Amino acid sequence: MFRRKLIALNYPQPQGFDSNDEKAFRNLIVWLEDQKIRHYKIEDRAALRSLESTEWPKAFENYMNDLGSPYPASERNAITDWILGYAVRLEYGDDAEKFRSVTPQTLNSTSGNKTPAGGVSSNPLDCLDFDDPDFKAGVTSLAMLLQIPPYHDHLEQLKAICVLVKEKLSKEALEVASKEQKSGDVVTLDRVELGFDTGDYIINEAAKILRLLHIRDLRELQSKINQAIVSVQTLTANPKTDSRLGKVGR
Amino acid sequence: MVVRTYQDELKYLEKVSSCSWRIKKGFVDNMNVEGLFYVNEHLEKLMFDELKNSCRTGGYGGFLPGMKQIGNVAALPGIVGKSIGLPDVHSGYGFAIGNMAAFDLSNPDSVVSPGGVGFDINCGVRLLRTNLTEQDVQPVKEQLAQCLFDHIPVGVGSKGIIPMNAKDLEEALEMGMDWSLREGYIWAEDKEHCEEYGRMLQADPSKVSARAKKRGLPQLGTLGAGNHYAEIQVVDTIFDDYAAKKMGIEFKGQVCIMIHCGSRGLGHQVATDSLVVMEKVMKRDNINTNDRQLACAKINSTEGQDYLKGMASAANYAWVNRSSMTFLARQAFAKMFNSTPDDLDMHVIYDVSHNIAKMEEHFLDGKQKTLLVHRKGSTRAFPPHHPLIPVDYQLTGQPVLIGGTMGTCSYVLTGTEQGMNETFGTTCHGAGRALSRAKSRRNLDYTDVLNALEEKGISIRVASPKLVMEEAPESYKNVTDVVDTCHQAGISKKAVKLRPIAVIKG
Repeated sequence: MFRRKLIALNYPQPQGFDSNDEKAFRNLIVWLEDQKIRHYKIEDRAALRSLESTEWPKAFENYMNDLGSPYPASERNAITDWILGYAVRLEYGDDAEKFRSVTPQTLNSTSGNKTPAGGVSSNPLDCLDFDDPDFKAGVTSLAMLLQIPPYHDHLEQLKAICVLVKEKLSKEALEVASKEQKSGDVVTLDRVELGFDTGDYIINEAAKILRLLHIRDLRELQSKINQAIVSVQTLTANPKTDSRLGKVGR
Repeated sequence: MVVRTYQDELKYLEKVSSCSWRIKKGFVDNMNVEGLFYVNEHLEKLMFDELKNSCRTGGYGGFLPGMKQIGNVAALPGIVGKSIGLPDVHSGYGFAIGNMAAFDLSNPDSVVSPGGVGFDINCGVRLLRTNLTEQDVQPVKEQLAQCLFDHIPVGVGSKGIIPMNAKDLEEALEMGMDWSLREGYIWAEDKEHCEEYGRMLQADPSKVSARAKKRGLPQLGTLGAGNHYAEIQVVDTIFDDYAAKKMGIEFKGQVCIMIHCGSRGLGHQVATDSLVVMEKVMKRDNINTNDRQLACAKINSTEGQDYLKGMASAANYAWVNRSSMTFLARQAFAKMFNSTPDDLDMHVIYDVSHNIAKMEEHFLDGKQKTLLVHRKGSTRAFPPHHPLIPVDYQLTGQPVLIGGTMGTCSYVLTGTEQGMNETFGTTCHGAGRALSRAKSRRNLDYTDVLNALEEKGISIRVASPKLVMEEAPESYKNVTDVVDTCHQAGISKKAVKLRPIAVIKG
């Protein structure tokens, strides 16, 4: 529940923080004081830093009082939210100019080079829980909708969905398709020669499909080669003929 | 050489299928492998008559019969598989024309032989398509033939209309069709649809003699003489709809242009030069052959490598030559139909070499081997999915262009898996001579030949009419027999038949 604030503070493990996990909670408090709040001088932080000590709750209570927390130390969630908010406020105050200029647009353009695991990114897609049952269900229903056969690894399946959408349903693909319309005839798979026999009908069919996909990739490559040649030709080509040179033999 | 009676000779021959014969070891001396040749009934008779005649004269006079030549090639060091005669096989210099022989590169004794490539290095056939119909062309046929004749000089001693200097030639020898591309004579797609992508990379122009270069320089962009020609053809029959469509052949009566030519004097000189060198080398390296004409050198020797580099340069020259003629033919058509080559859809369907030696990967007894495959008067015919054929033909197999004789018909075949296994992916190249040139001149009259063409409605422009009887259909085997035999044997498959409506010849 504190993920957004933790991410904003660049906390190393922003995912799945639980304020009732004593160890995680103590770690967070020490990290905030060390890295962000810095209310005490370094030598005065000893009590707070002795994480395993039985004296820690007392040190924590003092610390909260010193910061002026409005909540009692027992209300973990409330106090966590408050101290995180306090830290964010300090962080903002450190460089108000920099943060004021941040807009969703500028953020989007830079989010590409942030790592999702480090908690720096605010791109919601990067923070998706890919193993969430809801997510898996979504992938499955997308696959069904697009008539992609089921596959045990939902991430691989998602890749297949991406490929399909990119090649068949993207704006560019649709434009190309509408231009080309139905050029060429449909050749049924059983008319395609495989060139070898695996002894298994299904595998033969699959191998033919791989052959066809490979040929399509080759065609794309060859077209790019041709384009490259043509663009060089625009610089070098200068065909000449001189009919005076011609001589018919005997 | 032992002289045997015809009956004795027959003991070494065995029919193995309805259209193929085995030549057993012992037919000639020292055979390392067996021979195999493909014939149907008509061609079989021609082959056996040739052998019979040779037995009668005791082996003296003229060329050896084709079967004996196939046997002699089977006796060369390092040959693997079989020495194969295609249905159009006929006697040639050393190797029969229509012979395929492969040599194992991992065997240090394996040889390369200029006679196994032929004098016209990388002689080949190129087919261009158009979107014109026979009706579009018939009314202007004569003018079109004349226009082509004006653009593409023909005959012995002809000179081309593309200006070239010595430096251009050096670059063309090294770069092949990449030179034509750079200079803007051809389209990027032409390279894509050419065997070897129109360039043999091992070419080294320094291995081509000054004399060869001198001969080649003025001849670029000319057809030459002999059996070379440029024909305007129309689609007569489509046997394989799908393969034809992949080649852009959509309907009967579609107009195509076939160009059949090679490396002119340059290739001839490269072959001659190397034969002189190799005759000496054979003594030095102790290489023995059954026939003096089978001069050869070990592939790994300096002389062998020099020949291969010179041959590759000559091959590049031939591709530049066919490319230059492609450019000129496109210009001629564009002028005639007041259009552009683009709008006329004048794409190269394919370009094959039928006089060449190439390093290829093949399976021999289940093992992958690198072989030097000599194809003389025979055409590479790779099956579907072979990595060395253009992506557009991956599903159909490589197009194989079979040029018929003047005034008959031509074929487009496709390569097959069976051909890959039986003949190292090789099939026939054309009709194949039945009468020698001298015999043709004696037996036929040139006016009759020209009249026969006119009766068939074929326009002809020819530099030396008095030599056309050498190239008359009567002098050749029937190309349809040849092609049908290859189809029946399964070493290639018929796709399209074309018939000529205008011929330009030397």
